[in-house]
Amino acid sequence: MNPDFLRAVVDTLLPGEAVAPAGVPSLPAGSPAGVDLAPHAESLTSVLAAIARAAGGESNFPAADENRRTAILQSVQRDMPEAFARLLGVVLPDYYEAPAVLNALGWRSEPPQPMGHAVPAMDDATLARLERVKSGGRRWRDDA
Amino acid sequence: MAAGPVVRHDDVDVLVVGAGLGGAAFCKRLAERVPRLRIVCLERGGWIDRAHLPASGRHWQRAALGPWATSPNLRLRSGIRTASADYPIEDSQSAIKPLMWNGVGGSTINWAAHFPRLHPSDFRIHSLDGVGEDWPFGYAELEPFYDHNDIEMGVAGLAGDPAYPPKRARPMPPLPLGRLGMTAAGGFDALGWHWWPVDAAVNSIAYDGRAACNHCGPCLIGCVNRAKSSTDETYWPKAIALGVELRANAIAQEIVIQGGRAAGVRYRGADGRDHWQGASYVVAAGNGIGTARLLLASGIDSPALGRNLMFHPAAYVRGMFTEELDGPVGPVGCAIYSHEFYETDPARGFKRGIHLQVTRENALLAQAMRLQPAWGREAYGKLREEFRHSIVILVQAEDLPEVHNRVSLTDSLEADGLPGVRLDYKLSDRSRRSLDFGIERAEEVLRAAGAYRIERLALAPATGWHLLGTARMGRDPATSVTDGRGRCHKAPNLLVADGSLFTTAGAVNPGSTIGALGLRIGEELAREIA
Repeated sequence: MNPDFLRAVVDTLLPGEAVAPAGVPSLPAGSPAGVDLAPHAESLTSVLAAIARAAGGESNFPAADENRRTAILQSVQRDMPEAFARLLGVVLPDYYEAPAVLNALGWRSEPPQPMGHAVPAMDDATLARLERVKSGGRRWRDDA
Repeated sequence: MAAGPVVRHDDVDVLVVGAGLGGAAFCKRLAERVPRLRIVCLERGGWIDRAHLPASGRHWQRAALGPWATSPNLRLRSGIRTASADYPIEDSQSAIKPLMWNGVGGSTINWAAHFPRLHPSDFRIHSLDGVGEDWPFGYAELEPFYDHNDIEMGVAGLAGDPAYPPKRARPMPPLPLGRLGMTAAGGFDALGWHWWPVDAAVNSIAYDGRAACNHCGPCLIGCVNRAKSSTDETYWPKAIALGVELRANAIAQEIVIQGGRAAGVRYRGADGRDHWQGASYVVAAGNGIGTARLLLASGIDSPALGRNLMFHPAAYVRGMFTEELDGPVGPVGCAIYSHEFYETDPARGFKRGIHLQVTRENALLAQAMRLQPAWGREAYGKLREEFRHSIVILVQAEDLPEVHNRVSLTDSLEADGLPGVRLDYKLSDRSRRSLDFGIERAEEVLRAAGAYRIERLALAPATGWHLLGTARMGRDPATSVTDGRGRCHKAPNLLVADGSLFTTAGAVNPGSTIGALGLRIGEELAREIA
């Protein structure tokens, strides 16, 4: 399939942020983040062909404006939800595992282990709050 | 049937099918109490390799959606094999989808390790509230086994919870609540409601040769540093040291009944060949679906077998907060819980109660994929609003036994050599009312904690961890499969030692009770044999 078409599908699904909240990097679009549909095009033929058909041809899709491209994807999602879910199942994991995306959302790109995360232990002030709960007395029922 | 002659093994005293929590606890207790016994456990799956768990790699998030998904059906669909020897479960007619792990450790491999006990009233709901059935024994009879199971599995928590009878000091201090837990606790405090740090089978400090949790987050894809308790790390090494033989990758095909007694088990070995293992006692411990499937496939003629399937119907309520919270940090199921509404109050319009549990946040990918829509600019807005800024309360209802909710066999033969299995499960009106009540309360507490917006998920289908009741205990063979010692009415040397036994389900996670039941059944058998 046409690389421009595949890129346009990715970047319509994941358009990136024009403006990020203050103090954080903006989310990149899918293609710059490294999402590439080409290796998956064969297994996603039916949904990609439906998108191309709805656009009137592969080359028309990237040429359309964002609103039109979004409307096309929405209609294909309505018509073939399972196939569209498979498309998302390819695109979203690649995107949300990309370091630039993780970092833009305030998360680290390193895996959970071996670093883990630091969380302070329960302190005395928290334990003291449970005195209120205890002072309410027994809550459980006898079994007889 | 595999080609070649059947491999015949010398008869053993006790043959267990399933190396999850119930089977592991049973084996260790029995081996400890009667060391001369020859005990063998067949486990359909293998051992996990902690050096290659996904949480140490870059693609850990997608592993949770495929080969390390909690659903066996999703794992099978991924096409990637793990140590879990899964079989397909036809669940299109079940409102709740089953979750499990089919390998050494059972579902403790990918559980959240939330470890509450049932309440005393949970054992007597017919006598107290006129619904369901009473268990054949009460909390007091199970309490010593709860205590022992706590020590074996390792429990972090805090004694003194007024929602329960007094418990012994917990083996470890509670897990830290984090900003998320503390914020939620503030909501309960503001309303004057009960809350308490969870009992968790997760090490808050080094315990029994295993490290303390470093709060990495994704407990459901296996624990890399062994802080989360799972029976491949707790019961099994000790049971094996006591002489129990664990045969992994051995798929039981049939429990053979002769003259009203179990004679042994025909199984497919790791070598692909058919094996025969005779035994004086056979114990099924393959969870509420696997045990029912095997017993049904073995022709056990018990009218209640497979019936009365119970989950814990669950809903989620998510509150959005302006302040930054922790994100996906800390053991996923373990922050705080409330049993403010656990016991029956007739004014609510339904019998029995609900469990409210403050859980940790999803990993980013899971959070993104559950959004509607999950793509486009709107998704970004929602994700920015939720990620690291939301708290979820799980509302868990007690499920009552209903005969039409069931596990049954299909006409197909699956690749593992057994008949296919299907679930039929409808959410009852009573469960729906319970969940609706709980959703309202969860919203109240999130608002009180400072949430500015609330989202509700009225029924969460992918929560079918708790597979209960399909070989339930009771006194009447017409309405139960086993007696109070886990003995099948139809074959007294055939026992069950897993969640299938639950007469009723309570509203809390069953792991602690499954382990206690395994110990109790092991103890009962030891007394008889010794």
